[in-house]
This record gives sequence, structure tokens and C-alpha cells, in this order.
Amino acid sequence: MSSAFDISEEIRPSQTARGNAGALDLRKVSKTYQVNKQPLQVLQDIDLVVKPGEFVTLVGASGCGKSTVLRLVVGLDSDYEGEILLDGSLVTGPGLERSIVFQEHRLLPWLTVEQNVALSLDTDQRTPVEKVQTISDHIGLVGLRGFEKAYPRQLSGGMAQRAAIARALVSQPEILLLDEPLGALDSLTRSYLQLELLRIWRQEQVTVVMVTHDVEEAVFLSDKIVIMTPRPGRIRKIVTVDLPHPRDRVDPAFGAYRKEVLEYLAEDYSI
Amino acid sequence: MNSPGLEFKGPSVVLRVRKEPVAEVRPAVTPALRQRRKSAAPHASSGRGVRIFQFFLFPLLVLVVWVTVSSLHLLPANILPSPLAVLRTGWELITGEYGEKLSVHLVTSLWRVARGAAIGVPIGLALGLALGFSPTVESWIGPLFRTIAQIPSIALIPLLMMVLGIDDKLKLFIMAKACVIPLTLVTADGIRNIPKTYLEVGRVLRLRRWTLLGKVVLPAALPSIFTGIRQGVAHVWVSLVAVEVLASSEGIGYLMTWGRLIFQLDVVLVCVGVIGLIGFVLDFGLRRFEEHLLRWKGEAS
Repeated sequence: MSSAFDISEEIRPSQTARGNAGALDLRKVSKTYQVNKQPLQVLQDIDLVVKPGEFVTLVGASGCGKSTVLRLVVGLDSDYEGEILLDGSLVTGPGLERSIVFQEHRLLPWLTVEQNVALSLDTDQRTPVEKVQTISDHIGLVGLRGFEKAYPRQLSGGMAQRAAIARALVSQPEILLLDEPLGALDSLTRSYLQLELLRIWRQEQVTVVMVTHDVEEAVFLSDKIVIMTPRPGRIRKIVTVDLPHPRDRVDPAFGAYRKEVLEYLAEDYSI
Repeated sequence: MNSPGLEFKGPSVVLRVRKEPVAEVRPAVTPALRQRRKSAAPHASSGRGVRIFQFFLFPLLVLVVWVTVSSLHLLPANILPSPLAVLRTGWELITGEYGEKLSVHLVTSLWRVARGAAIGVPIGLALGLALGFSPTVESWIGPLFRTIAQIPSIALIPLLMMVLGIDDKLKLFIMAKACVIPLTLVTADGIRNIPKTYLEVGRVLRLRRWTLLGKVVLPAALPSIFTGIRQGVAHVWVSLVAVEVLASSEGIGYLMTWGRLIFQLDVVLVCVGVIGLIGFVLDFGLRRFEEHLLRWKGEAS
């Protein structure tokens, strides 16, 4: 554990990195659900540019459509208006260049950690030997070496979420989508996994878009914080966090960012 | 200005704290706990003893009532033979001294069950998978199937005897039908009720059709499929005995009818016991096989 806390040491791209971080471009994306035959708009004119290798978080009150944004980007729902472009080409349906980690780990309980990770390489063109190697590399990357043959029920919540991250990364996506991946973890595991996420992001050099409820987590991790507001879900403000990593939570500058974000969010609660 | 922030963070903190310890603690502590309990209590096998006691309590009570009733001659001995008489008859049926041999009839019945299940299980599985997967198949044969399912096999016997005779064909048909109905319904439900979250994982990972089927859909539906197979096989056994009682010249059900006709209720009681025992063994064996296949569920299941 101790070594992982030394985030200050120089981080070089690992052998698992491919250096193909993608650029994401959302143009006037709107989404309407039919609820009891009434149209309910959950997203309205979302315009967002995520540069290659950026770490962007979406924060906002529940019901502001942050998770819906990720579902649209990953391609689970293609019934929307506007355009979603990855590296300039239109996103249609799921694709392995976009990976997602859900709030629940969603590992398949009948497969071991290794087999769960391997599932991502189902349509991969690499040879079996190369596949075995990259699966092992990614299990190592998330710190689960020794647990390759374990079933999900034998893992703690934090470990299961690590396995889910390995499964998302093994296909070498250009963009990693994280839907509150640490939301269900206790605060200690959570702050530890934040450091791990930071390390993985810097090693893998992948673009990350993460949904979170936790403002401190957002300030700690991201280059850009997208503050969303509900009914219908819109972007209220984008805050660029200009602090070097690793960030110090008791630094006054850190506190200033947190305060700024919280003030925007508080507007939705002050009714 | 800080208070809205606190309000915002509050609920998510509570959720986190509540959820994680359960998952974190369970695998690590259980063996240790068990160890501690073992060393503290000298009667380590007490859990097992209690289970055996629970298992035998009610059968023992029945036996006590039976012994009491028959030894006080509350019922005539030819209506309710004593347990000892039944045991003796059982032994004579096994050795063949009785005239009829239990093993011959049992082999006949079990061979029929094997053939009935061999026909019924594949048909039930195939139908269940088709109904579960395909809305088209469901809309074409679903309602018809559910209607047929409402007709008890026994009610069909008189009709089928006319068409199929009273030979093996009749028995096989009845058994196959008895097996197919529950197996199909349970399998189809199992497939329809696969958690959407697993299917989404399959879509996000771009799994090929056969990978999706073999690694996601079938394993997710396997517990229900197994329940279906267990129910199906149990129905095969029960319906076979029923057919043999009604229309047969050999088999355990025939032996029972024969015992009743010659007014030897000890024979009937031996047959009842054997039928129950076989049913139990069939279910027990399938459960063991299921546990083996569903190892990933762990001790919890």
C-alpha cells in the first residue's frame, strides 16, 4: 500500500499504455425520455469538448443527467439529438475504443477476475499469447496480482472495482468513462483508489470522463470540472483546475476551487 | 457559505459507510470466526447433530404413531400392517421369496424414467430457450403451450390409452410431457429475467453472439434452468408411477396396484416407501450436480 501513496515519484507510461488518448466532442446533445407518455427532457444542448488525455469530471445534483451523458457516449442509448464525436467521427453504438466502469462493478460472478478481464478481448485480433500477456499486465496495473483466479464474491468492494477498471482498460480504449466508480466504497478505500485512479490515468495516458457526487474528489483528480444543473440537465459552468499533481487537499488553492464548485452547486439547492 | 456543501455531501457519506464493510469483512472473517467457535465449544459437530435431529424428528414421530396404532390394534392388521411386518415383506420382495421381485420392477421403472428424461429434458430445454430468447416464438406458441400446461397429465391418460395403447409409448409420452412443461416454463422465465446490467456489459464489451450466449446468458440463467431440470425429473418420476398404477403390467407402480388387488397393504407400503426414497435420491443427486456446476456462488448458496 505504502508504495502507491508515493504519487510524487515520476510516473512513466507503462507497457500497457498505447498513447492513443481520444478527443471527445459533444455538440448540442439533447435527450428526452418518455415518462408515463409525457416527454421529460433530461439533457438540453450539452456542448463539451474533452481534449486527448484530459481528466474531466461531471458533477451536479441527482437527476441532472450526468450518468445519461456517459450512457450516450458509450453507445448504450442512441436515441438522442445532437452529435457525439470521438476523434472527429460520429459515435454509433458501443465500441471498444470507449470503455465504461459502472458504480456497481458488474463483474460476471461465474467468471474469475482473469476471465472477466479477458471478456473485453473477445473480438480482439491479437494472438492468444499476446492476450494472456496483456491481461496479466492490466491485472498488475490495478494491483490485483495474485487474485487472477479469484471469483468476484471473494473480492472486497474496492478490489472488485479495480478488476472492473482492468476489464475496461485491457481493450486499450481511447477514452475511459467512469460512472461514480468509487461511489459505493468506504471513505478510506475511496481516497486510496483516487490515488490509484490518478496513477493509472497518468500511466495509461487515456482520456477520462468521470461522473461523481464528491466535489473534493473532482477537484483532486480533474483538469476540468463540468458543473451540471437539473431539470433539464444543462452545463452550468466549466471550472478548469490549474493545480499540479499530486494535489494537497489542505492547500488554500485547493479549498478555493472546492468552494467555487460548491457555490455553483448550492444554487440548485437554495430554492 | 460552507453549509450547503455539507448538506450536499451528507447522504453520499452515509451510503458509503454502510455498504462497504459487509463486502470487505465477509470473506476474511468467516473462517476465523468458525475457527474460534470450534476451539471454544468442545462439541464441534453440534451443528450437524442438530440438522440430523431435525431431519429425523418428524419421520420418527410418524413411526411412533404407527407403532402405537398397530400394537394397540386400533386398526385391523390387514389395513395397517405393523412396521415389522412391512420390513419383513420388504425383505421378501428384495430376495424374491414373495413371488414378485422388487428389483425387477424397479429396474423396469428406472429404465423408463431414464428414457422419459432423455426425451423430455432436451425438448424442454430447447423449448425454454426458444421461448425465452425469441419474442416471435413466444407469440406463436407461448399461449398454446401455457394452455396445454394447465391440463394434468393424468387427465390425458384415458384419451392417450386409445391412441397409444398401454405400452411404453404411453408412458414415455406422459413422462416427456410431465418433464417438458415445468422445464420449459422455468427455463424461459430464467432467460427473460437475466439482469439487464449483465446484458449491458455484453453490449459494451461488444461480445460476439456465441460468447454472449455461453459466457453471459446461459450462466446467468443456469440456476433457473437447474430448478427446471429438477422439477422436470421429479415430474417424470411422479407421472410414471401414476401411469404404472393405472395402466401397466410391470414396474413399481404396477407392483403397488398388485399389492392392493391381493389386499396386501404391506406390499403397498413398501412400494410407497421405495417411491419416496427414489424421488429423494433423484433430487439429491441433481442438487449435488447443480452445486458442483454453480461453484461460483460459493458457500452462500
